[in-house]
Amino acid sequence: MTLRENILSQLPNTIGKQHQRVVAIDGPRTARCEVDQCDQLAVAVYELVLETSELANVEVAALHRASEALCKRVTYLLEPISPIETDADSCIVQMRSSPPQQHENGRFYYELMLRRGGAVTMYRYEKQPGSIRQRVAANITHEVLGRLVDDFNTTVEEVNGA
Amino acid sequence: MEIERDQRRFKQIVRGRIRENLRKYITHGEMIGRKGKEAVSIPVPKLDVPRFRFGKNGSGGVGQGDGEEGDAVGKPGDGPDGSGGAGSEPGSGHLMEVEVSLEELAAMLGDELELPRIEPKGTANVVAEKSKYNSVRQTGPESLKHFKRTYLSALRRQISTGNYRPDDPKIVPIKRDKKYRSWNDIPKPQVNATVIYLMDVSGSMTDDQKEIVRTEAFWIDTWLASQYKGVEKRYIIHDAVAKEVDEHTFYHTRESGGTRISSAYQVCADLIEKSFPVADWNIYIFQFSDGDNWGDDNRQAFELLGEKLLPASNIFCYGQVESPYGSGDFIDALHQEYGENEKLVTSEIPDKDGIYKSIKKFLGKGK
Repeated sequence: MTLRENILSQLPNTIGKQHQRVVAIDGPRTARCEVDQCDQLAVAVYELVLETSELANVEVAALHRASEALCKRVTYLLEPISPIETDADSCIVQMRSSPPQQHENGRFYYELMLRRGGAVTMYRYEKQPGSIRQRVAANITHEVLGRLVDDFNTTVEEVNGA
Repeated sequence: MEIERDQRRFKQIVRGRIRENLRKYITHGEMIGRKGKEAVSIPVPKLDVPRFRFGKNGSGGVGQGDGEEGDAVGKPGDGPDGSGGAGSEPGSGHLMEVEVSLEELAAMLGDELELPRIEPKGTANVVAEKSKYNSVRQTGPESLKHFKRTYLSALRRQISTGNYRPDDPKIVPIKRDKKYRSWNDIPKPQVNATVIYLMDVSGSMTDDQKEIVRTEAFWIDTWLASQYKGVEKRYIIHDAVAKEVDEHTFYHTRESGGTRISSAYQVCADLIEKSFPVADWNIYIFQFSDGDNWGDDNRQAFELLGEKLLPASNIFCYGQVESPYGSGDFIDALHQEYGENEKLVTSEIPDKDGIYKSIKKFLGKGK
């Protein structure tokens, strides 16, 4: 069973419950999803992480290339994603919604990180005027969650193959 | 002279118009590109001259024509449509360019923001020699010959020796009559000041944010230059790595690296140590960032700030320009760590309109 299939198969168990954690393991890769709420169709994801030791010794250039490829694939969220900053010292690439979604009462954006060590993570933030940003749940369908897990998986493979 | 009085009056009106709109000029950077060495060219809205205004055709009023008393008056718009054409006069949005000296602009800024005069450090007085032509000598280059004194000396000699003839008043200077202008070195106290600008140019700083920094830096420059003669300006940019750059690079660079504020603090501390002895210089540090510092860099940055930069500077100003993501929290951490330090001034600049308040906060201490 792939990571995607494994995660999606566990979602029905979280329906009607709050703050659930769903974990799927495939060899050295672990997909972890913090579920805030879930119903038959959609899921509110507080954190989505794909961890793997396969990214332990990668170069920052490889991470940067993989992040650009990931941004091109992830076109199905609420906003397009772009690499924003690359920290060569810590070997981390930060990607965000570009531009963020603007509302009357604030801004919303996704933040994805690809880091040596390693992991691919995704969070959603809300920034209201006059206050610091808050992490909020990203509302996505089950299908989109599965697709994200697949795309994170592909990114790890790309970095390894570089 | 009549024309001179009119000219003076015109200048007063123009200056008044600039003062009225100064807030707009402060918050919009349009005049920065117009800056010369000593003056700035400012677009001032056209000054209105009284003139007749014509009403719409057929809109009533006293008229002359074929009508008889008691005829119904036609309504506006009843007549045939006329054909319009493009006007040949300039539109009302036409602007007039006025040159204002930077000193005058600084004075306007000081008045508008009620900025106190800066009190320089007491120990920062450096004495410089300045030459002044205020004496006369017997020798010197011909280019400095003092004609009047030379003539008088020759005249005195010719009269005393009986060689002066009033009917033929020829005065011929000889070598010992010649007088030359000469100079003396006058010690003149000078106060040295340096302004060091630090800017985050990491991937999260957009062009709009840098425009805000540029505009604010222009006004800070203008004010400080009016307070000190010959302000030294230095520029440092950083993402995860910092370097000193020239003014053009400072405003036009965009990097994509992460944000490590400590790197800029280190370069700044090294620069002060190398070039600006604290006892002789008034040091002003202005830092601009979106405050999105990476990882555990805050700890290292605060060490450098507390040990090197705050003790060395007259004032340390941190302006946090809001990024599209609003993700900067460096200012909060700074408040927690050094909120009590009187040399630290912080300001949040949400947009261009925030520049006005920010300048007032930074320069309002008179340090």
